[in-house]
Amino acid sequence: MQTAVHTGHSGGDAVHREHASSFLRTYIFSTDHKMIAKQFLVTAIVFLFIGGAFALFIRWQLAYPGAPIPMIGTWLPSTWVTAEGVITPEFYTQLLTMHGTIMIFAVIIPLLVGVFGNFTIPLMIGADDMAFPFLNMVSFWLYPLAGLIMMGGFFMEGGMAASGWTAYPPLSSIASAGQTLWIVGLFLAGFSSILGGVNYITTVMNMRAPGLRMFQLPMTVWSVFITAIIIVIGTPVLAAALSMLFMDNFLHTSFFSPQNLIVASRDMSRTAGGGQPLLWQHLFWFYSHPAVYIMILPGMGVVSDVLSTFSRKPLYGYKAMVFAIVAIAFLGIIVWGHHMFQSGMNPLLGTTFMVSTMVIAVPSAIKTFNWLGTMWRGKMEFTTPMLNATAFVSMFVIGGLSGIFMASTPVDIFIHDTYFIVGHIHYVLFGGSLFAVFAGLFYWFPKMTGRMYSEQLGKWHFWITFISFNGTFFPMHILGVGGMMRRIYDPTVYDFLKPFQPMNEFITINAMILGFAQFILVANLAYSWFRGPKAKRNPWRANSLEWQAPSPPPHGNFDSVLRVYRGPYEYSAPESVQDYLPQTVSPEELEQQMKHHLAREARAEKEVTV
Amino acid sequence: MLDWLPENVSVFGEGVDHLFRLIYYITAGIFVLVNAIYIVFIIRYRRKRKGEKAYHFHGSNRLELIWTALPFGLFLFLAFYSDGIWKDIRYAERTPNPDLVIEVMAQTYVWHIRYPGSDGVFGARDIRFISSTNPFGIDPDDPRGEDDLVLINSMHVPINRTVLVRLSSMDVIHSFFLPNMRIKQDAVPGQWVDVWFNSRKTGEYEIACAELCGSGHYMMRGVLNVYSQADYDAWKDEQYTNMRAALQLASDENE
Repeated sequence: MQTAVHTGHSGGDAVHREHASSFLRTYIFSTDHKMIAKQFLVTAIVFLFIGGAFALFIRWQLAYPGAPIPMIGTWLPSTWVTAEGVITPEFYTQLLTMHGTIMIFAVIIPLLVGVFGNFTIPLMIGADDMAFPFLNMVSFWLYPLAGLIMMGGFFMEGGMAASGWTAYPPLSSIASAGQTLWIVGLFLAGFSSILGGVNYITTVMNMRAPGLRMFQLPMTVWSVFITAIIIVIGTPVLAAALSMLFMDNFLHTSFFSPQNLIVASRDMSRTAGGGQPLLWQHLFWFYSHPAVYIMILPGMGVVSDVLSTFSRKPLYGYKAMVFAIVAIAFLGIIVWGHHMFQSGMNPLLGTTFMVSTMVIAVPSAIKTFNWLGTMWRGKMEFTTPMLNATAFVSMFVIGGLSGIFMASTPVDIFIHDTYFIVGHIHYVLFGGSLFAVFAGLFYWFPKMTGRMYSEQLGKWHFWITFISFNGTFFPMHILGVGGMMRRIYDPTVYDFLKPFQPMNEFITINAMILGFAQFILVANLAYSWFRGPKAKRNPWRANSLEWQAPSPPPHGNFDSVLRVYRGPYEYSAPESVQDYLPQTVSPEELEQQMKHHLAREARAEKEVTV
Repeated sequence: MLDWLPENVSVFGEGVDHLFRLIYYITAGIFVLVNAIYIVFIIRYRRKRKGEKAYHFHGSNRLELIWTALPFGLFLFLAFYSDGIWKDIRYAERTPNPDLVIEVMAQTYVWHIRYPGSDGVFGARDIRFISSTNPFGIDPDDPRGEDDLVLINSMHVPINRTVLVRLSSMDVIHSFFLPNMRIKQDAVPGQWVDVWFNSRKTGEYEIACAELCGSGHYMMRGVLNVYSQADYDAWKDEQYTNMRAALQLASDENE
């Protein structure tokens, strides 16, 4: 009887389930690397707007301390603002914490590693998918979950985490529930990164198309590959540190606190003590300094490809570019102590880390000069991806040079923890990483969606972003030279900071323009995704393998198995008729083309003489 | 841009500012040079006709070597040059003999500042004795500690003297920032760190907290008064007199 009932239902269920599962498998729990890349993209853009909104709240308070937020101020929850709509100091510290955390872990890393890593690797190496598609799906799904848990403190007493994105204990180990959720969320985000990293390494090592050697890989693939290695080395260390911080915060252990702390929020007399606050900083920066390179190396790769394509010229010094990435990755792992020059660690270590930090400027310089070399005697086309890529190089130069100031330990005494570092990190992560993201996004948009974006909107977005970006972040260096501390709620408390108030207002106005300009980006992407003109297979006349696939590529990517004959940068080669030479064109085919071309030219010449 | 620096009044601050200027001019030079080349390239090497071919060239190893070696030399020079100044400021064996030792204990949103009393020595302290009423953990059984002077958010020093500040925290990490003295040093609980300065100018200067220590971080402000030696002695005498009177009053009440 029971069986009969069961069978009776199962028929209908099966039909229903099949229908549902195909939608689920295609759009939600997809194992297709391209769909996962799109999922990363959409999720990261949502987080970008959340993190950006937090930044604008911060800027409002800094420009007009104590003034109510216009229009929306009185609508905000009472845990955020006073009755008049003024941001409270408590909410301000949550804002700066969550702005940093979201932008780094839920926007930049997922955009560069999640979107570009996933989308480009299989396509650029001629594979049908990732080595571990299921792991890839898990890697994506951990990420929105991690982001939501991190922000879950919003619903808890005491609000979200409020000890900065660096979460230095004891401040973070005596904090409220929001901090515990932050730790759990970040732990999951780390797992998502590790799963992705393992997948990228395996895919690049094992799944390249026949004939494709390592030194024929495009820079995008190289950079994500090296990034994945950094992720796999660094992230477990962060996970270990987070576990200890979780225990300190939740179970009242004391890995990071000495005995007898006098703290209002909890009774510390029963905790054992004997811990070291600096231990956290070493462990945290052992991951988080390489994380800066996780956030810039893929950008460098993308920009190298875009610059070469639109200069119609081979990438200058390909091997030097690869070795520079390897050198940055290696040095990046041994410079973490430069975040701790004023932390109370032995000054002798200051010397050590200063030398390694100064040396890391060398491979960055090599990259810059090679980008210039790539453009030299090129035939540049300034499409939207190219505009963003050129901006990347120039902004990265500023971000790199401002780093020299902080690398020098005596100068760092003064500018450490001031707005100078805030300006520096935004030149690297926005001027660098985010412009590279824009470049890559527009570059691969036709392949990703099968449609062209609007060049006009793309250019508007670029110019407004570029100008307001510099208006926002360049003056921050000046604030830093003036000594303005980061993470302060109201600079006017200090007499020596009062003269900087007009500059703070200027920054805030630019920041608002910068924030609202991103709606142009979203409008462009959203409209073009569904309504843009259909894209050709190879709209940029580019060489790398992804342009051999249909736009958009189906599940499995390519119509036939590819065979690779050369590297991806043979632009304007003399042996080719056109100004590009795809990696898949065989030497015989090439010879044929040339023969036809010469014959045609000879005929044309004869006709002219006759 | 360097005109925005707060006035420097400390002796070693000159070294810091000198290095700041040096790096500023070097980086500004590199920036202008790179961007000038960049802009020339952007203007000059645009594509003018469709299908026009660029110069097919993969790079030059000699150039790679040159632009690896040049920055390498420059940055190593900067590192070792900086290091000389860093050693003078921070290495313990190079710190001049202090004329005055002051202890600073940071607590969430206040700076506790401790002077040895009229006996000229600090009472013994231990982390176990730290409490909200005894921020330094002064040993109650040590008679030398009875006259120690503990102030809040206000520090007083004489001009042209080497002042050694011994720094710690009783709760979270703070950072002791004296913009005009070019000093910044984290105050870490469970650990004492020394920093020193020597002010060449009298006046009132601000002390700021530079490490996020909670929602009141922004208002953790103190004041540093640099006096002439005569004014400093007068201030000290007044403090000692008050202290003796207070101790007298306390012992009277006990009897």
